[in-house]
Amino acid sequence: MKTAFIMQKEIRESILTPKGFLWYILTSVILSVLSYLFLTNRELSLLDQGTMLYMIMNFITALGVLMGLVLGADAFAGEIERGTLEALFLSPVKRREIAAGKLCAVLTNWGIIFAISLPYLYIVGKGGQNLLPGILYLGVLGTLLSLIFSAFSMGLSARIKSMKNSLIISFFIFLLAGAPIFLSAALRRTWFGRIFDLLNPFADAVNTFDSVVIDSQGLSYQTGRVAIICIYTLLCIWFLKRSAAKVQM
Amino acid sequence: MIILVENLQKRYDWHTALDGLDFSVEEGDIFGFLGPNGAGKTTTIRILTGITRADSGRVLIDGHNVNTESAEIKKIINAFPESSGYYEWMTAYEYLEFFSHLYNEKRLRRETCKLIESVGLQGKENHLIYTFSRGMKQRLGIARALINRPRILFLDEPANGLDPKGRKDIHDLLINLNREHGTTIFLSTHLLDDVERLCNRIAIINFGKIVRTGDVKKIEGKGTIEDIFFLSTQGGAP
Repeated sequence: MKTAFIMQKEIRESILTPKGFLWYILTSVILSVLSYLFLTNRELSLLDQGTMLYMIMNFITALGVLMGLVLGADAFAGEIERGTLEALFLSPVKRREIAAGKLCAVLTNWGIIFAISLPYLYIVGKGGQNLLPGILYLGVLGTLLSLIFSAFSMGLSARIKSMKNSLIISFFIFLLAGAPIFLSAALRRTWFGRIFDLLNPFADAVNTFDSVVIDSQGLSYQTGRVAIICIYTLLCIWFLKRSAAKVQM
Repeated sequence: MIILVENLQKRYDWHTALDGLDFSVEEGDIFGFLGPNGAGKTTTIRILTGITRADSGRVLIDGHNVNTESAEIKKIINAFPESSGYYEWMTAYEYLEFFSHLYNEKRLRRETCKLIESVGLQGKENHLIYTFSRGMKQRLGIARALINRPRILFLDEPANGLDPKGRKDIHDLLINLNREHGTTIFLSTHLLDDVERLCNRIAIINFGKIVRTGDVKKIEGKGTIEDIFFLSTQGGAP
């Protein structure tokens, strides 16, 4: 129950302050521009529906991950710097309840971003054969990735206690996770690229979207990658639980 | 005794914050905890309230060990930290409601308004906290510390930033809490006037050690609190 009150507080804070609201506006604006370009630009509109859907799904996932990292970095370190965490710690709330409330709030924010993206996904992917499975995979894997990166970032923020340093490390992790997008196809086919792709949950999600939306492959092709994402989810939640229990002023 | 502290030690990397602290507080005391800046007052309060763990030593609050029975302790204590921050996007009412929920306190609106009134913020219930002055925020912080009607109240420099009237209001509130409800008050301050006006017992801390403790009246017989403070803390802060 206390987790719910913490979550409610965090969500209100997201909506009433630029902390979260900015993400919603950013999502709407960028998705609008992207969708417009996909549908009107001569070269981009030559892409097949599946590729367009895949590209926009990658973008939404990246946005969700980035939001999770930024909100996670603020979770403990930000509250310590603003002097608000001490009052929370004085109240009879377990630290894991605080962490759970904050994590649920980040997931709610991801849910809002996902909801905002639905009309854009429909417009870009309508007529294509894999729109519905694509949306389903984006919903599930996006939620798991949001959990992974926000839990990791929150755990880091609890241990480092400096918002600036948590943010710097979180951005580094984001760049590392997003590397598959920046790496060339040739590099991704090397042994290093393959291992990196397999062990990187973000790459696993992107490759799953590729497999589902473009190659129309079923669930049996995705189990390995989804299992790795699930393992990361459990590991990061465990890391957050351990880190939250150790926070001291 | 309601607070018992034995051989408390705390180090931050190379800096020794507390170096074998020993003292006790009786139920119903207004206990003044004095010391120069950096003497270890805030660290002591953080350990006593369970926010920070000591490296060694023992703290009992009403017979409960602070390291192993923090849930029990949190029911009977509350604190006003020195560097208290606020959710500035909330109204004063929402802020207290939020903490009431965390204490499982089913509080009626008029009870919360009464609490707001008791710290002199009447009429400000629905104002956003970011519009408050520093003194008003201090008062709101004290109201939050009273939300669970604590038996022991820890206050870390509660009069900082308050004007003379604000200070007097807070003094009256603390005296009333102590006399009417028997609340034990642990007051960390370097405002010696506050100590003389409010406290019946004091302890002076310097370099993480208690250098003087006793009844205010007995100490005053040997000189003013100010004299005793400066005599005890010669050498200044670490």
